[in-house]
Amino acid sequence: MAETAAPELLPGTITEPEEKSKSELEPGYLVICWNDPVNFMHYVTHVFQVVFGWNRKKAEFHMLQVHEQGKSVLARESMEKAEHYVHLLQKYSLHATMERDE
Amino acid sequence: MKLVRVSAEQWQFQLGKREKLLFFEVLKLYPCIPSAHQTLSKKGGLPEQETSQQLLDEALAEQRAEYKQQLDGWMHGAGKWTENEKGWRVTLSVPEIEWLLQVLNDIRVGSWVILGSPDPSVEEVNEHNAPHLWAMEVAGAFQTALLGALEHGSPDLHG
Repeated sequence: MAETAAPELLPGTITEPEEKSKSELEPGYLVICWNDPVNFMHYVTHVFQVVFGWNRKKAEFHMLQVHEQGKSVLARESMEKAEHYVHLLQKYSLHATMERDE
Repeated sequence: MKLVRVSAEQWQFQLGKREKLLFFEVLKLYPCIPSAHQTLSKKGGLPEQETSQQLLDEALAEQRAEYKQQLDGWMHGAGKWTENEKGWRVTLSVPEIEWLLQVLNDIRVGSWVILGSPDPSVEEVNEHNAPHLWAMEVAGAFQTALLGALEHGSPDLHG
């Protein structure tokens, strides 16, 4: 049985992971939850705890910010991660979006 | 919907006979949120936004189809519901409660969207808006019962 030859790297050769654009990797995107009159306050608190793993105090802080100020910035992330959080929040039917941090 | 027992990450609930009928009637409305209602960004200007929005729409549609199928099995599956002299008992795991919360909130928010997203609230109840207002209220009542049960039985999650 023939042996499988391990790939050899020439001196000075650098392997690079799949490249992503700079803007995709930078934490330049805000995950925002917007106020609406339909979602219960205790439900919003619960969703923040589940999605972000926050304790109740932190989740309630952001829930109250949404309620009193109309919105709360929940995270500042790369585009990919921000998109992931928005998907999770929207699965719970919260009014959440991602916006470029300007 | 009363929590009767919590053990090993299992929440057991008792529902009256009429209560179970109401629960099933409201669950039959799922999904309620119109497709492509949810947007990825308010201001726009994201790279490849159209593709990203399409991915979000597809992910949510896929989830709703999956949940609908799961819901039918859960409502009518053998052994899930046990009848007793007071009504019905059902046992839920944490993932099942999370899933039901999403289903109920879809019905609540979707009914509100169908009503035209009134803010602060509907002023007059009539034959056209009553069914949607009913769905919002009933879905909300069951949501509150489930959240209360989680709070009671899971200090780690709600501590």
